[in-house]
Amino acid sequence: MIFEARGLTKRYGGLTAVSGVDMELAQGDLVGLIGPNGAGKTTCFNLITGADAPTSGTIRFKGEDVTRARDFQMARKGVARTFQNIRLWKEMDVLDNVRAVCRAGEPCGFAAAALRLPRFRRVERAVTEKATSLLQRLGLGDVLAESPGDLPYGDQRRLEIARALALDPDLLLLDEPAAGMNPTEKARLMETVRDLRREFDLTILLIDHDMKFVMGICERIYVLDHGERIAHGTPAEIRCDKKVIEAYLGSEC
Amino acid sequence: MSGELLFWLNLLVTVGIYTLLAVSLNLINGHAGMFHLGHHGFWALGAYAATWLTLNAASLPGPLLYVLSLLLAMAVAAIGGLTIGIPCLRLRGDYLAIATLGFGEIVRIAVQNSPHDFLGGSLGTKVPRVLMEVTRTTQVPFRFLTLAIVAVACAAAILVFRNFLRSLPGRRLLAVAQDETAAGLLGIDPTRSKVLAFVMGSAVAGLAGGLYAHYMGGINPLNFNFMEMVKMFLVIVLGGMGSLSGCVIGAFLVVATEQLLNRAPEAIASWWQVLFPLILALMIVFRPQGIFGRKEITDMIRAWRRSPA
Repeated sequence: MIFEARGLTKRYGGLTAVSGVDMELAQGDLVGLIGPNGAGKTTCFNLITGADAPTSGTIRFKGEDVTRARDFQMARKGVARTFQNIRLWKEMDVLDNVRAVCRAGEPCGFAAAALRLPRFRRVERAVTEKATSLLQRLGLGDVLAESPGDLPYGDQRRLEIARALALDPDLLLLDEPAAGMNPTEKARLMETVRDLRREFDLTILLIDHDMKFVMGICERIYVLDHGERIAHGTPAEIRCDKKVIEAYLGSEC
Repeated sequence: MSGELLFWLNLLVTVGIYTLLAVSLNLINGHAGMFHLGHHGFWALGAYAATWLTLNAASLPGPLLYVLSLLLAMAVAAIGGLTIGIPCLRLRGDYLAIATLGFGEIVRIAVQNSPHDFLGGSLGTKVPRVLMEVTRTTQVPFRFLTLAIVAVACAAAILVFRNFLRSLPGRRLLAVAQDETAAGLLGIDPTRSKVLAFVMGSAVAGLAGGLYAHYMGGINPLNFNFMEMVKMFLVIVLGGMGSLSGCVIGAFLVVATEQLLNRAPEAIASWWQVLFPLILALMIVFRPQGIFGRKEITDMIRAWRRSPA
């Protein structure tokens, strides 16, 4: 298992946002996390990424206990994410959004940067090459110097994915990647996500409300309701699960 | 004639010192997006550190002592920035402003209340004229030499900041300033970025303090009062938060206005204390991004060249 959560619980005062959730991801899995609004999906993401610390429960990533790791530490260990409401750095151009995240083999300290030492040039060249090739891979090679706010919505989402990939992640979390896309864009996104998983050796966990998208792409699905895990299985099993139909899907089977 | 020359030399040296203060304040407030109001404290730390060394190492040759005292000024201010930065940078927005403002005032009041034989206490102290070994006088040659040194310091500080902002750690700082949550989740340690900006900014403010002490030949705690902080803030608001070019232009406008007003009759001169806050208020209402916004002169020249004539 590359990722394992046991009894994950988060309480905010009297409100239990996530309650005793178990989750396991094997290397290369493509798994969905669904549930009605307020079910605790985004809280789960926040716990996994270290943005928030769980009240109880444990998280293991690549065999290491990372329950108390902070957000930037988790990111450096290989957990990257995109955001439900796009959070690009609007005052930097597209290339710099990715370059700010890239890690070169060697650190570029303040002195090297300020005095333009050879090390700075090496790091800069490596980072620029990496960012450019990631952006080209995601079809954004022509807009490197644009401001992210000027890009169409779908491109902004893909820029978020490129930025997350700049971390060389093992686990990629996508928070509603298909939100606001039309059916053609969604079909294209499905292709992209599948291809990226193969090319970058990723394990992917995604949240989305579009059942066609989730069922079409995920091999397994976890279902949350009121912070609890109410079901887990293949898309076919989930579609016919009584509890899931009652809590979320409505009669569909 | 010589009086006129001295006036303009003095004006330009002062512009240079305020440029240093403004670019360093701007790194923290403009680029790093923190609300820091204690810059006069770092300035004072630098001035007093340089003064202390100059008073206590009088046996060294003048020019060497001058350089060493400037280095000490930067180091002491940077250590101040680090000590204040680490606990304070967990605060955000107004809370950070209040904490840093408190720091700035503490530095001044601590000196004011220290015994007279330690840095002069509330009466201030003379700073030995170590550059006199070179210039023989504190008149025109001294001011020319100081102006040259200040100009080099400004150019170096601007170059270092510009290079930094266009590097990996610089981009991380800009990312933290724009969206700290996203930056953290993408592997950037926000505290580290902010402390780095704070230390760089305070070091350059310390350098400005050292240059100022040597230039004035004497300092007292009231040189570093909160009105000075307001002036620095006005410079960066006027020039443009996040623009290095804006700092230079802003410093020139503010210092020139103040010094030209100072030549006017007393009744008019004292109005600068009304004028500056008024300009500050008007800028924030009508052009909050300042003259340059976040742009640099070089960006504008490039854009102008590219546009069809």
